[in-house]
Amino acid sequence: MLNNMWTRRSFLGKSALGAGAVISGEAAIQLLSTTRVWAAAAQGDLDILNFALTLEFLEADFYMQANAAADKLFTDQRSKDLFKLIGSDEAAHVSAISDTITKLGGKPVAKPTVKYPDGSFTDYKSFLKLSKTFEETGVGAYLGQAGAITDPAILQAAAGIFGVECRHAALVGKIAGLPAEGGVYMGATETAKTKDEVLAAVKPFLS
Amino acid sequence: MTKDANELFDGQPVLEFESDADRRGFLKYAALFGVGATLVACGNNKSGGGSPAASSSPSTAPSASPTDDTSAFGQGDLGIANFALTLEYLEADFYAKGVAGGSGLLGDLLPLIQPIANHEAAHVQALTQLITAAGGKPAAKPTTKYPDGTFTDKMKFLMTASVFEETGVKAYHGQVTRIQDKKVLAAAASIAGVESRHAAILADILNQKQVPSPVEAHAPSSEIVAAVKPFLGS
Repeated sequence: MLNNMWTRRSFLGKSALGAGAVISGEAAIQLLSTTRVWAAAAQGDLDILNFALTLEFLEADFYMQANAAADKLFTDQRSKDLFKLIGSDEAAHVSAISDTITKLGGKPVAKPTVKYPDGSFTDYKSFLKLSKTFEETGVGAYLGQAGAITDPAILQAAAGIFGVECRHAALVGKIAGLPAEGGVYMGATETAKTKDEVLAAVKPFLS
Repeated sequence: MTKDANELFDGQPVLEFESDADRRGFLKYAALFGVGATLVACGNNKSGGGSPAASSSPSTAPSASPTDDTSAFGQGDLGIANFALTLEYLEADFYAKGVAGGSGLLGDLLPLIQPIANHEAAHVQALTQLITAAGGKPAAKPTTKYPDGTFTDKMKFLMTASVFEETGVKAYHGQVTRIQDKKVLAAAASIAGVESRHAAILADILNQKQVPSPVEAHAPSSEIVAAVKPFLGS
């Protein structure tokens, strides 16, 4: 379903621009997935990456389906553009994490079979609600795992993805017209979620 | 769901203290980070609990890379925390001035910007408490200066805000792998995520790219210091 060739090309293609004093996120993850000489990876890190990959698969699939229905689902250009952007980010996360697991000598989990409530891609409000749920779950999931990651390069990349999930969560909250505090922002600090909490949140969407 | 220390960081306590006095000192800090008091574990000895996070107070190990050096702000994690505190002081000061006149400067954008001002002030307080509780000396509030028109021209204010937020994001991400102590990492990460939200919203307001890359960029401290230097000093 997911066009991996396209997402990988766009992701690594952009990374060539990452030269310069500021290390771009793309460069960081390119380093992570292509040029690093891997020592034996800690099993814990591989487990965390596969946990993250499952979430990213779900998010990427969700936005891919939404964007396929864009003409009916989104009524203005602004929302079309935003969800296209978010969708491409999630697809990039899937590619990068999969590549990283492979480079580490691990086996990426298969893409899960997913299901969504009726109307998820025809009713804009239902879509926004799900989108916000997925993004906030992603935020809490990455933060919840940060302390358990042992490899610095993986930590750097996971933190970088976490920050982007935070951006998405805020942008979805804003375009949904939610209150600034408690909708766009969720307080002065982000809140971690345990693996169990994350799995409970996404379980209804995995079949 | 009732959480306990074993559930934060998925089994690794983020906040663990040598003594109960230290634990009490951190409770205010813990509350600021949205962490329930029950999450705060108290280790009676350094190797207690068998947890990898059962570390002592923030590390004072020398920095690993000279390009990322934060030793001007203090050694190890305390230096990193003071580096972050200096940036947060600047941001807090900037937003406090921006919202000082109510909606005078920002008009109908005030509801989106006022929370940012509140967050930055909370970050200053949280980092100050973190540093103090770890036995360090919090950096003093820097003197700040801004170009003419920063607080009278809405666009100028918003563009400066955007620069501060993107700089803040890169600053935190530049320190992620240098942080030794898990509780400092937890604090830094939970703040960094909020800076990402701010950055995205400001970019959205300004019709700029809300997500510059699928993974946040990071920059060494020397670059961050150079970026904010024009705003520091009288």
